[in-house]
Amino acid sequence: MFVIFTDTDTDLTPKRAADYGYHLISMPYSYDGKTIYPYEDFDEFKDKEFYDMLRGGVLPTTSAISKEKYLEYFEPYFKNGDDILYVHFSEAMTMTFTNMRAAVSELHEKYPAANFYTVDTKGITIESYIIVLEIGELYKAGKSAQEIIEWAKDNVLNYSCYLFADDLKFFKRSGRVSGFSAAMGTLIGVRPIITMNAEGKMVSIGKERGKKNALNRLLAYMEEKGEDVKNHPIIIGHTDDDADVEEISAMIRAKYGEDTNIEVVAANPTAGSHCGPNCLGISFRSVKRD
Amino acid sequence: MDRLINGVLFENMVKGGAENLYANKGIVNDLNVFPIPDGDTGDNMYMTIDSGASAPSSDGDGLGEVSAHIAHGMLLGARGNSGVILSRIFAGIAAGLEGVEEADIKTFGEALKKGSAEAYNAVSVPVEGTILTVFRDAVSFAGERINAETTLEGYFADLITELRRSLERTPDLLDVLKEAGVVDSGGAGLVYIVEGMKNAVYGEQITRTDHGAPSSAHNINIDTFTSDSVLEFGYCTEFLLRLQKSKIDLDKFDINEFTELVKSLGDSVVSFRDGTIVKVHVHTMTPGVVLNEVQKYGEFLTLKIENMMLQHNETVIENRFEFKKENVRKKFGVVAVASGEGLKEMFRSLGADEVVDGGQSMNPSSGDFIKAFEKINADNILVFPNNGNVILAAMQAADMYDKSVIKVVPTKTVGEGYSALSMLDSEGKTADEAAEEAEEYAKGVVTGFVSRAGRTTEMDGVSITTGDFIGFSDDVVYSDSPDKCAAASVLCDKLDAGSFDVIILLAGKGATDEEAERLYDELTEKYKDTEIIMQNGGQPLHDFILVLE
Repeated sequence: MFVIFTDTDTDLTPKRAADYGYHLISMPYSYDGKTIYPYEDFDEFKDKEFYDMLRGGVLPTTSAISKEKYLEYFEPYFKNGDDILYVHFSEAMTMTFTNMRAAVSELHEKYPAANFYTVDTKGITIESYIIVLEIGELYKAGKSAQEIIEWAKDNVLNYSCYLFADDLKFFKRSGRVSGFSAAMGTLIGVRPIITMNAEGKMVSIGKERGKKNALNRLLAYMEEKGEDVKNHPIIIGHTDDDADVEEISAMIRAKYGEDTNIEVVAANPTAGSHCGPNCLGISFRSVKRD
Repeated sequence: MDRLINGVLFENMVKGGAENLYANKGIVNDLNVFPIPDGDTGDNMYMTIDSGASAPSSDGDGLGEVSAHIAHGMLLGARGNSGVILSRIFAGIAAGLEGVEEADIKTFGEALKKGSAEAYNAVSVPVEGTILTVFRDAVSFAGERINAETTLEGYFADLITELRRSLERTPDLLDVLKEAGVVDSGGAGLVYIVEGMKNAVYGEQITRTDHGAPSSAHNINIDTFTSDSVLEFGYCTEFLLRLQKSKIDLDKFDINEFTELVKSLGDSVVSFRDGTIVKVHVHTMTPGVVLNEVQKYGEFLTLKIENMMLQHNETVIENRFEFKKENVRKKFGVVAVASGEGLKEMFRSLGADEVVDGGQSMNPSSGDFIKAFEKINADNILVFPNNGNVILAAMQAADMYDKSVIKVVPTKTVGEGYSALSMLDSEGKTADEAAEEAEEYAKGVVTGFVSRAGRTTEMDGVSITTGDFIGFSDDVVYSDSPDKCAAASVLCDKLDAGSFDVIILLAGKGATDEEAERLYDELTEKYKDTEIIMQNGGQPLHDFILVLE
């Protein structure tokens, strides 16, 4: 048997995880001296409340989880004789996987027969989410770990994500987006457009003046880069930006038909701590990422 | 293989390191790039290694015991970011030498590698281009070159060669260093320490002099933080905490979680655990909160809190640090003209390096521009005059100045300037290309103004009454009203504001918050498809400026 894991940075909720049999690793964020593990310290993510808190000036930080935490997650399954496949958020954005490897190598000594596989979604939030869903389907269909890894090798880069940011303060502080010129600061009325590249890093690819233009540009990417989008999930992710979710949903449906299936997710608080409120993005099946 | 390193030699090496750092610590202090992040790196590192080197002599002990002893001394004395990292390097070395009576070069080299790994572990977010990188590069370079013929002198020569090379690379890894034109101070301190250790390797007998602990109290200038100052950098807070069984379950204490707690209260966190002692270094705006939180885990052994805005008096240094590089020139700089604190701040936060005070009521001179050019020190400088009456002075300054390529983007209003600058991306472009692009962005922008009328007259078909507010754009008057919000609202209609993507509303000195809010609400209601953004511009003369983009 093998079990599949993903982490909360991919936006998967316990409810959706149960649809596929995913186990969730909780990636924490901290503020005011409290460290919060999503879905361990609360049952339901109240996104409005969280992003309102950020609007009020709270700047949470995020941190890598310890080796011990990984041991707690993985050991019961290895003990049980199961293998593990972990579909995780982009390694290029974090150091947490060093601790993971340390945990796994310790477990390997204890359980030499156990196999541990990983798939790097080379993304975070909805870029990862869409891939996590696709792999979840394969798992449900009874594919082996090897088959899933082969699929991932060929397909991970065929999912793209484009988003616009609002207050650059959060992105700049996190240092997790490249391509912002050093001078770029608080932009009023101008929204930077961001994508995830083939290395799994966030890069800024330009700006749009006004929200309408920003929304149009996201849709334009979907038309230009999209590939067989209707037969794959289409995801809209946002950091408490309901009005724009409505708007882009309508725009997508107008373009691809009223029957187009769209899933809306609230970006998880850990990744959201680096984006800040009022960001909106879409992910879809595409040609290979740049 | 060469001779073995025993406890006596190692102790002598650390003493040599301490002495050599002491002799050069002024140079290391001088490399601090931040306004005053952390006190002075040289002093901090010296006090750290000194408390290791002054630990009571341990004649006859094996290398393992001596190194553990020294590491423990450093743990208690560690201060400052680099000092704490230094103490972790020695803790790692001690761990690598545990139980070793005498070490050959290979064993010693492996212990140094452990020191490097331990230092990386102690830092919550390791930054490359610091002491961490310099030490890692050196031990890995020297380690690879160890062979049967390697002498201890040769090994140290390799270490020092790479320490210096890596130190010179630090500005390439860390922008703050490049901008300040210096190499990393912690890395430089380490170079002096290892050079001092080499002296001991060469057989020099190191005698320790008691230099006394430099009290930070008498070399800081308390006048640099006055009753008008605003706390900007917070407090450098350091403490040793003895974990208490009465407060926590020691077996369950997780240093990672503890570090996360501290990180949520500040930054530049360095922390580690040694038995039941936890050492923490953190920069925080609220040291009281940090202390209250961590006291839930134990009691303080030592405690130090310093306001990071207090400037330490400059140490006079005769010999310049040999690694010091020329002040780095920027590729692109930006000068903008604006008046009103809010507006100036908007330009600064958009990336204007210099904001020259001026506008409608006061036009800056060419000399003012030249001063700004001098300060910026860039290959290319873009100038946004933001007023029709200022463009000429800017162009004249550009002609007179030959140390940079200067391009004037002829923006006639702050709206044009702001809009152009917020869309511009100068990366990888020539000055001409960037200026052209900026000019293009400025083109579609319409700027409207609301001001009090100075006399009664009739203009452009609008009858104007003294004391009323008039709305105008591009020298054409569109509205007149005793109410400034009404004048602005009618002006918007006339300018077809609803057809634009964004309206930025800049409230001037003369507009109250209530008036600004009223206008914002009215426009939001009226133009549903346009994004309306209110900003406090604080400009004189114009009660409102409306930027339509």
